Amino acid sequence: MRVLLAVLWKDLLSEWRSRDRVVAMLIFSLLVAVVFHFSLPGGAGARSQAQAPGLLWIAYIFAAVLGLNRAFSVELENDALSGLALVPVDRGYVFLGKALANTAILGVVQAVTAVVFALFFQLDLLPIALPLAGVVALGSLGVTAAGTLFAAVAVRTRFREVMLPLLLLPLLVPVLAGAVRATAALLQGDSAPWDALQLLIVTDAIYWIVSFLGFEYVLDE
Amino acid sequence: MHGSRGSFSGHPSTRAVARSGALLALLAAGWLASVLGAPQDSVQGVVQKILYVHVPCAFAAYLGFLVTGVSGALYLWRGEARFDRVAAASAEVGLLFCSLVIVTGPIWAKATWGHWWAWDPRLTVTLLQWFIYLAYLLLRSFTEGDERAARFAAVYGLLGVFAIPLNYFAIELFGSAAMHPENLQRGSLGAGMGLPFLAGVLTALAAYLHLLLLRADSIERRNALQELLEARGS
Repeated sequence: MRVLLAVLWKDLLSEWRSRDRVVAMLIFSLLVAVVFHFSLPGGAGARSQAQAPGLLWIAYIFAAVLGLNRAFSVELENDALSGLALVPVDRGYVFLGKALANTAILGVVQAVTAVVFALFFQLDLLPIALPLAGVVALGSLGVTAAGTLFAAVAVRTRFREVMLPLLLLPLLVPVLAGAVRATAALLQGDSAPWDALQLLIVTDAIYWIVSFLGFEYVLDE
Repeated sequence: MHGSRGSFSGHPSTRAVARSGALLALLAAGWLASVLGAPQDSVQGVVQKILYVHVPCAFAAYLGFLVTGVSGALYLWRGEARFDRVAAASAEVGLLFCSLVIVTGPIWAKATWGHWWAWDPRLTVTLLQWFIYLAYLLLRSFTEGDERAARFAAVYGLLGVFAIPLNYFAIELFGSAAMHPENLQRGSLGAGMGLPFLAGVLTALAAYLHLLLLRADSIERRNALQELLEARGS
């Protein structure tokens, strides 16, 4: 537990001091939102509101991949991966610390992106802010679990920036499906459908458990 | 390991490869004969005969996926190299069959539905499976270090296996109308179609087994050669 908190605190603190990941992810998300305006027929606006949930999650996932690519780069550049691997406890706790930090960082970016999307797509997010935050959190947990595991994998491969999305995206389809469905329902004024939430919860649980167990085999010296 | 052996002839793997090859040849001949002799579907015409290729290939692709996942898990648990070899070989052979499924399916679809593709649950999951297989093989190629590659691939293979049922639920959620024909049940095939179908399934499974053994054997030889060269070089 102490290892988990130590890793979590270290990552959040270093991110707070440098803010390089958050800023990069944020700028990227905003740019993506602008590009959506130009790529949609008729531009982003009331007419394209039906597309908003899907586009929002595409922006989220792209930003997540961008951030996750850097998840282990600090350790890699400073030859500190062995340090992480040599913890006296189950390496899964390192995973938990890392994944939670990634979730927090992603969450900040997601919140700002949602506001920008609300502006561009003329959405009214205030009444659904809390349930939306819940759905986004559920979706993000799925993304960061598998994402953190594969970030640790990708950091040991050639073409690591390409490997991460290659490994991650096919496995994110269940997360995307549930999250977009739930987000769309919320934006229409309905409550999030239970089967969507169920899919998200089950996927998150499986991904977190398997990633926790698998991290032992993935983080090596 | 079998140590420094001069030649591989008579090696158990080679015999197994040869035997499975003979079995495959026999089954394939029988299957071809039964397909040619099978009656033509009154509604779909000759294109219906793709069923005898498409579905057996799908079985082999799913089996390959399962074997990759299970073998990888066994490798993580036991650490024996042969489990990793089987996992790698199964992924390659499975990808081949998955590609065949994705190629033969649209050919049939264009002829019957009028368009090449639909985002139906089964098609979507098969496509995703193809991408996961591909990512698995790329991961193996691009990871630095053989032992590390084996470990990484095993973990990815396991997650991939979980992703498949999750994807089924996910796509059902999206409410895509299921256009793909339902699972075949007894009697749903017309008269005279049961035999070529069964022959096809057996042939595909035999082909999978033969190619798996061939590939696993080939990987083993390559690894042994690498070890020999490294031992010589040092």
